[in-house]
Parts: sequence; structure tokens; C-alpha cells
Amino acid sequence: MKKNAITLIIAALLLVIFALLLFTFQVRQSEVVVVSTFLKPTATETNAGLYTKWPWPIQSINRFDSRVQTFADIPSETLTADSTMLLVNVFVGWKISDAKEFFPKFPGGSTLAAQRQLENMLRSAKAAVVGKHNLSDFVNSDPAQLKFTDIEKEIQTSVEAELAKNNYGISLEFLGIKKLGLPENVTQSVFDRMKAERTKFITAAQFDGEKRASMIKSAAERQAADVIYNAQADATRIEGAGVAEAAKTLGVFQENPTLAVFQLQLEALRNSLGQKSTLIFDERTPPFDLFKNLPAVNPGK
Amino acid sequence: MSDHHHHDHPHLPSQSEATAGAPETQDAGSQALAEALRSSFVIVKIAMAALVIIIFAAGFFTVNSGEKAVILRFGKPLGDGPKMLLSAGKLYWSFPYPIDEVVRIPISEIQKVTSSVGWYLTTPEMELAGTEPPAGASLNPLIDGYVLTADRNIIHTRATVSYHIDDPRTAIFNFAAGTNHQFNLGGISNAVQNAANNALVATAARFNVDDILTRDQTGFRTAVRSHIEEMAFREKLGVVIDQCDVQSVAPRQLKDVFAQVTTARQNHDKLIQDALGKENQILSEAGATASSITNAAESARTRFVTSVESDAEAFKALLPKYEGNPQLYAQLELTKVMAEVLTNVQDKIFLPQRADGKPRELRLQLNREPPQEKSKVNP
Repeated sequence: MKKNAITLIIAALLLVIFALLLFTFQVRQSEVVVVSTFLKPTATETNAGLYTKWPWPIQSINRFDSRVQTFADIPSETLTADSTMLLVNVFVGWKISDAKEFFPKFPGGSTLAAQRQLENMLRSAKAAVVGKHNLSDFVNSDPAQLKFTDIEKEIQTSVEAELAKNNYGISLEFLGIKKLGLPENVTQSVFDRMKAERTKFITAAQFDGEKRASMIKSAAERQAADVIYNAQADATRIEGAGVAEAAKTLGVFQENPTLAVFQLQLEALRNSLGQKSTLIFDERTPPFDLFKNLPAVNPGK
Repeated sequence: MSDHHHHDHPHLPSQSEATAGAPETQDAGSQALAEALRSSFVIVKIAMAALVIIIFAAGFFTVNSGEKAVILRFGKPLGDGPKMLLSAGKLYWSFPYPIDEVVRIPISEIQKVTSSVGWYLTTPEMELAGTEPPAGASLNPLIDGYVLTADRNIIHTRATVSYHIDDPRTAIFNFAAGTNHQFNLGGISNAVQNAANNALVATAARFNVDDILTRDQTGFRTAVRSHIEEMAFREKLGVVIDQCDVQSVAPRQLKDVFAQVTTARQNHDKLIQDALGKENQILSEAGATASSITNAAESARTRFVTSVESDAEAFKALLPKYEGNPQLYAQLELTKVMAEVLTNVQDKIFLPQRADGKPRELRLQLNREPPQEKSKVNP
């Protein structure tokens, strides 16, 4: 009896495993599974977990990666509205949004085939959007005129509209410009222009330096002249204040102006006839006036 | 009949005896078979037990350094956030497949990507040696990377972005690199690299060449980083940008002329610095001269006032003497001064009056400077 029970348990276990294999399937976190009944897609399972199904050939399953796939398209040259040949390269992040629609539209649900389809759409969308904008919309130091982000959105909107129209079961998660370039022969012209601008800048820098240096120096000299002029004015005021102060004392000299003037004359005489001076005088000049009044000498006496 | 038979063959084994011996043989066979089955069953039981043990033991696993692991139970990751990631240094156990599936992801604490979409074609060997490929006359956009600046110039720029995974569920289960259902961080790495590429192109498109290369390098680097962070947020990458290094250079074709610009700019700054130095010197000298002038004025003022006061005092002292005999006083004082003056005067010429009383004509030759005495050295 015990032996039979063990045998039965083992058999039941094997049967359960076999049934599980036949009647269940797993969906992993990163997957979406399309369940087909008699090869016709009938259900989509997007959430991770364990699901049941009828065994083959009634039902079969196809697994797809539901994660965001990124790729960059092939750079293509496009004319802008102002006739500049621009090389634009974009990257996109896309994923399978509706596997039931995606599965039959691409052979075997091939993501590579889907990418090729997306590339074709991108090429058309890029050409249409770039052709509506001037180069200044792509590169501009004025944020108000720069439309870089708007252009990216326009391309994305255009591709999304195309995807929705054809119901590919694909959604664009993001799109961005990976590269902006110019045709090879244009780069040489740009270099020539850059070189000319740099040379102009070198000359301008030299002249500007000299000009600003000269302005700084002349401003300093003018300021210095002002400082000295102000100092001289201050000096005059100081001396004037001195004279005014001294004037209080001048009243003393009013007691005898003759003596005051005489004293000043003496001082002037003392100051003017210093060393390295020549004095020519006659007997009228004191003290040589003594010679004038000398008594005559009579040799005969 | 039966007796006869019985008596004729007394020593032979009877029919009943013979038939009685067959079950015994059969029992032995059955017993042997049963024994064999029992042994086999024991072996099967042992094998099954061993199998159970093996299955149980096979559920143990470790995580290598440099990788993380996630357990998927019926396809769903166990745990959430950082707890979802199993790290090295512990022993883990999971149910056997298909209940559980252990997914190993090569992941380091810090991830790094380099965007070279704006950089010229180079090799790791050249990078190590610090050399660069020869510059042609132009740039082939399919080979050499570059970016266009807001003032429509061409420069090379590249960014190295260091980041860490903030949301492992997003990084692992929302982004793929390829179509083989493998779990790795290739998808998130591609997404961050695309964000860096886009950030360089979009940011350069709104900065002028001189801002990127010289005037506002920090501003450019900050703007690139902000753009990457904004994209990471918008695209829900689940990463945090730790560092963003940006390197920008002028095209190799214009290296010399850009070097000349740098020199010109330095000369320009030097001229201005020299002028500012001169300005300081001029103003300092002017300040010193001004101080000197005002000091001299103060000094003169003090001297003048003191002099007048002293003169006044002297005047007061002399006044009584003068008023006593003005004529005598004047004569005395004048004579004293003349004596003093005549002592100091270098040349004194006395011209007596003519005898006839007429004025004497005097002719003088005046030199600006007194004639120098001739020396032997300078005759």
C-alpha cells in the first residue's frame, strides 16, 4: 500500500510537471507574449507571471522584448529652408507597444525589420522638418530664436503620426539629434572663414589693448592733474587762512605805520642783498655818506 | 491402481511430492524478483532522495564581484528597488527553473560612458601617447566628429559621463541592447550615451565658439551636464549623473591661428594690466605731490603766522625806542643793516661823485649767470 502511494505521488508529480509544461507559460519582466490560437494572434500578455494556455497545436506563443531599444539612423544630407546642406543624424528609443499588431506586420516579429522601417520613416520625417527651418533655427546663441528642441519634437511627432497611421504596434519613447554636420567641402570653407575671423580678432585685440591702455593712462593723468590742482587750491586756501589769521595781528602795526614800514624795508634790504650780489653805491649811501662830509684836508697846514 | 503404482515404485518421489515441490521453486523466484524489486525500489528511493537533495543544493548560488543578481519568480523580479539586487559576499537560494530564474547582471557601482560624437577619429594608442592624427584640409562628417557652434563655427568636444543606477528595475527591465532577451546594462548605457551625444550637439548649438573654448568653459560644461540630467529624467532612465567632464578643442586645422589668438588675448590683457599699473603709479605720485603741496602750504601758513606774530612782538618792543627818537633810531638801524649787507655782498663798487657834481654814466655788462672761474681741467 505504501509502495503504491509513493508510486502514485511520483506519477502525479510527473503528470503535474508534464501538464505544467503543456498548459502553462511564463512571461518575464522584460517580455510581452502573444498567444496565437490556431496560429492567429488572439491574446497578449504584458505583465510578468505564470499563465495558462492550450497545448500546441491549439495554442502557441511568441515572445518579444518589450524593453526600449535604441538605435541611431544613418546620417543623411538635407537642405534647410535657407538652402544650407545639413547632415542630420538622429537616435530614437522605441519599443513594442502592441505586440499583437507588431507580430504580423514584421516577418517573424523581427525587431531589425522594424528598425529598418523606422529608419525609412525617420529619413522622410527629417527631410520634411529640416526643409522647413533655417540654419539659424538649429544653431543660435539667442534662446528665443533657437528651435533645436522644437525640431526634434517635430520629427518625433511626424514619425509617431506615421506609426499610428499604419498601426505598427510600435511607440517612440524619445528622439534626439545625435549629430549636426556640414558636407565635407563646406567644412573647408568654414575653416577659411574661422581663420579670417581669428586673424581679425588678433588685430582687434591688439588695437583694443593699446586703446584701452591709452585710455587708462590718460584718465589716470587727468585724475592726477585734478588731484594736484585740488591740492594747489587747498594750498591757496591754507595760505589764505594763514593770511587771515595773521591779519588779526596786523592791528599792532597800526600803532606806528612808519616804523612798521621801516622795519619791513630793513628786512627787504637784508633779504635782497645776500651773497652773490653786487652793490654799486656812492657817498650818499649810508654809512658811506661819511665820506661826503669828511673835512677837507689841507696838506699845507 | 493407485496402490500398485505406489507399491511398484516405492523409492521414486510421488506425483504429489513432485507437484508439491513446484510452488516452492516458484516462491523462490518470486522472492528473488521481489527482492530485486525491493532493492531497485530502495535504489530509486535513494536516487530520488539524492535528486531532491541535488535539486535543493543546486538552488544555492553566490554572486561574483562585479555583478549583481536578480531572482525572477515566474518571470517577476523578487524585491524592489535596491533590495532587488543581490550582491557578492552572501549565499543565496532559489527554486529550480522554471519556478525561479537567477539573472546575473554585470554591474559596477559607477558606470561610465564617453560621447565622442564631436571628436575627431583617434585611437586608444594615440590617446595614450598624447598624439593626434594628421589634420586634413577638411573634415569628413562620417569619420571625424565635430559640433556646430551658435556662431556657425566648428569645434571638437567630447564628454565623459559617470553615473550610477538609481532604479535597477528600470535600468535592467526597461532598456535593451539587442534583441536576444539578455539582461545587462547595455541598453541603459546606450541611452546615457545618446543623451550625452545630444547634450553636446544641442548645447554647442547655443554657445559661441569662444565661450566654449575659453570664456565660459564652466558654463558650457554645466549646461551639458544639465541637458544630460534633464534627458535622463525625461526618458526615465533611472540613473543619477555623478560627474560630467567635457573637453573642447579647436579644430586641428586651425590650431596655429587659435594659438595666436590666445597669445593676442594675453598681450591684450598684459597691455591693460601694464596700463593699470601705470595708472596706480601716476595716481600715487599725484597723491604724493598733492600731499607735498598741501603740507608745504600748511608749513608756509604756520611760518607766516608765526613770523607776523614775532614781527608784531618785535614791533611792540621797538616802538618805545623808536618813538623816543625816530630819526636816530632809523639811522642806527639802517646803518646796522647796511653793515650786515655790505658784509654779505660779494662785489662792492664805490662810485664817488664827480667833482663837477654831474651824474656819472655807468655802463654794466650783466650776465645771466656769474662767470665761472676757469680751472686747469676746463680752461
